[in-house]
Amino acid sequence: MKFEELEEITQESIVVESLLSSPAKLKLLTGNIGLDKLIKNKDLHRPQLALAGFVELFNHNQIQIIGNTEYFYLKSLTKQQRINSIKNLAQFDIPCVIITNGRELFPEFLQIAKEHNIPIFSTDYNTTKAFNLLSEYLDDQFAPHVVVHGSFVDVYGVGVLFVGKSGIGKSEIALDLVERGHRLVADDIVMLTKKRETIIMGTGTSLVQHFMEIRGLGIIDVRQMFGIRAIRFQKRLEIIVELEEWSQNQEYTRTGLDETYANIMGVEISMVKLPIIPGKNITVIAEVIAINYLLRTYGYNAAKVFTDNLKDAIKKRSAGPQRNFQDKRLINYFQGDNE
Amino acid sequence: MVEKLVKVVNRSGIHTRPAASIVKLASKFKSEIYLIRDKFAINGKSIIGVMTLAAEQGSEIKVRAEGPDEQEAVDEIVKLFESGFGEI
Repeated sequence: MKFEELEEITQESIVVESLLSSPAKLKLLTGNIGLDKLIKNKDLHRPQLALAGFVELFNHNQIQIIGNTEYFYLKSLTKQQRINSIKNLAQFDIPCVIITNGRELFPEFLQIAKEHNIPIFSTDYNTTKAFNLLSEYLDDQFAPHVVVHGSFVDVYGVGVLFVGKSGIGKSEIALDLVERGHRLVADDIVMLTKKRETIIMGTGTSLVQHFMEIRGLGIIDVRQMFGIRAIRFQKRLEIIVELEEWSQNQEYTRTGLDETYANIMGVEISMVKLPIIPGKNITVIAEVIAINYLLRTYGYNAAKVFTDNLKDAIKKRSAGPQRNFQDKRLINYFQGDNE
Repeated sequence: MVEKLVKVVNRSGIHTRPAASIVKLASKFKSEIYLIRDKFAINGKSIIGVMTLAAEQGSEIKVRAEGPDEQEAVDEIVKLFESGFGEI
């Protein structure tokens, strides 16, 4: 599979209403107006200068945050000045306004917002916290994603994605892994989302959930069959296992010293090419791949340790006196043990 | 690579049975087959994938094939779409 050629899907806009499900615990102050407006920019803006009347370069297509500065500035004005100041904002098509610190908004602000179809939210968090929570939420909502055909399983806490031609047995391997106590994330359709530029997260789709097709059997529901411990909703992608029929022309790694990577939306992901041969238990190999990845992550690389041992042995031999080659036993002294 | 845009013409859209007949047909070909809806590309040989498109009547699907029998594959799949999966 060519991961570089996958078409990136980007979210162009989200509706204002979806902000209500953000972790910033927003409360709606303006009732049912403007909730279907679109947010086309994931950045947040503090409209300080715009309130003061300087509206050139005003980023009006961003979400406007009323923090301390804006609030106390508005409070310092007379009522008429305040109305003029708010109208500086309201003349633009603003997606929505959020007031922080759980403050009550001036009644004239609410009035003008209603007239201009601008929804207003309030949050109990302070401005910095609200900025963090909302940015994270918006980053995720606007994150680019790709759709891949494969099975995604959490094996010993490592996110392993199986890819390969249809009919090669990806779903069967996923099912086998579930049976052995691992957790299915998604089968067939896996959505991969880029998070914070370095992480790829994988989930299933809301329609497919944890349903799965097993050829010759039909559609089964893994969640119902194996219970909640057999599934999870999302997992970070760490290894891609590409399954293919054994081919004589293809080179397979024998030492595991050189790692190959797949590039998904600019993020490098470890990749293993696995030939399928009769009598080979792919499920067990998948478990070993995951454990080996954990060992490497925690600082032990079996292939490297073995090579270093070999280098040492060769060095010792070439430094010492020339003798006939004889390999040593791992243990020389058996302490009278006859087993 | 061969691509062609088709419209779903039957009233109930691509529900389970039409999806099954698409997959059955697609699996006959050696080429890689993709069905694409709004950049959302799925493997035409996977029934769960085809059903994920949740394609209703009137929706447009791009059929793409890549491989030795790509032209034939696209032609036949498009023909199946246009026949309304025998539901008209």
